[in-house]
Amino acid sequence: MTQFVGQVDEKAEFPRESSSAISDSESSLLPMNSNSSTLPSPQFPVRQNHFSVLIKGNKTQIVVMSYEDHFQVIATQIGTMGTILYARKEEGVSMNPTFSVSVVFGKRDEPMLEACARQLIEKISLSGSSKPLVLSLGLKDHSTETLKGIISAVIHKGLW
Amino acid sequence: MMDSCEGARKGIEEVKLKEDGNVSAQYESCQLPITCFTEIANDASLHFQIIQFPKQIYVWVGYTSAKLGNLCAAAHTRPNNNVSITSLIGGTSDNTGSGLARRLVLKTGLNVILACNIPKNSPMIEAEAEKILVQKLNSLGYGKSRLEGTSV
Repeated sequence: MTQFVGQVDEKAEFPRESSSAISDSESSLLPMNSNSSTLPSPQFPVRQNHFSVLIKGNKTQIVVMSYEDHFQVIATQIGTMGTILYARKEEGVSMNPTFSVSVVFGKRDEPMLEACARQLIEKISLSGSSKPLVLSLGLKDHSTETLKGIISAVIHKGLW
Repeated sequence: MMDSCEGARKGIEEVKLKEDGNVSAQYESCQLPITCFTEIANDASLHFQIIQFPKQIYVWVGYTSAKLGNLCAAAHTRPNNNVSITSLIGGTSDNTGSGLARRLVLKTGLNVILACNIPKNSPMIEAEAEKILVQKLNSLGYGKSRLEGTSV
């Protein structure tokens, strides 16, 4: 079993010869059950980047993950994932792409949260990816300043 | 010369906007423990990702691929502290993740956000994934004795 615990380096592109790099950060291994193989595990398939940044005096934990078919961004100041939004680029024939943003969990009356998701999905689209975005925002305030800070940090450290 | 001045002015403005974003240039390490590991079970890869929040956990279970799968949320809810589950992205009323999320809440007492791409009607894979996940959560210190059920 291959295991990472705690901090993963920024833009962790796991090399093919992953076992030695990974074993440095391994702690206790789970016991193998009778159905599990003891062969070296493949590298972890989800790229991720996680960091902390101060926004308007609030320490903000941000995790950016790239799955095969989605991006996921988690930004929290309150210890939970908070409101979860889903943003995607809509298929169309128009030159200018359109996007849809919806709240799937949490506060549905905070337009700034949707604006934040809208900004990020547009940025993702401009970078050439058509993957949808799952955005979780657990913030102490929904001011423009805070959300601009989130957007700026995520764009700076994004995986697209 | 006028063009170069205009270009310089635009560049300065752009930098100013970034500064006004009130984002400290100091990026520090994330405080959230993130655990990622892969198990090979029955000749297939099971990938696990656990993000530990103070009051919640996020779990992703990937079966042979890195697709996000169906996303659901589960927690103890009022009035009887029963576990409620809701599907957030993808899935129907009987997808694999719902049952797994519910049992994780029962075992850990935490609010759980679970993404899972295990195909439907794969009880063996689901059971294997759940066993591995619970073992891991126990090793990380989660258990009913550690936490009370948190009502939403």
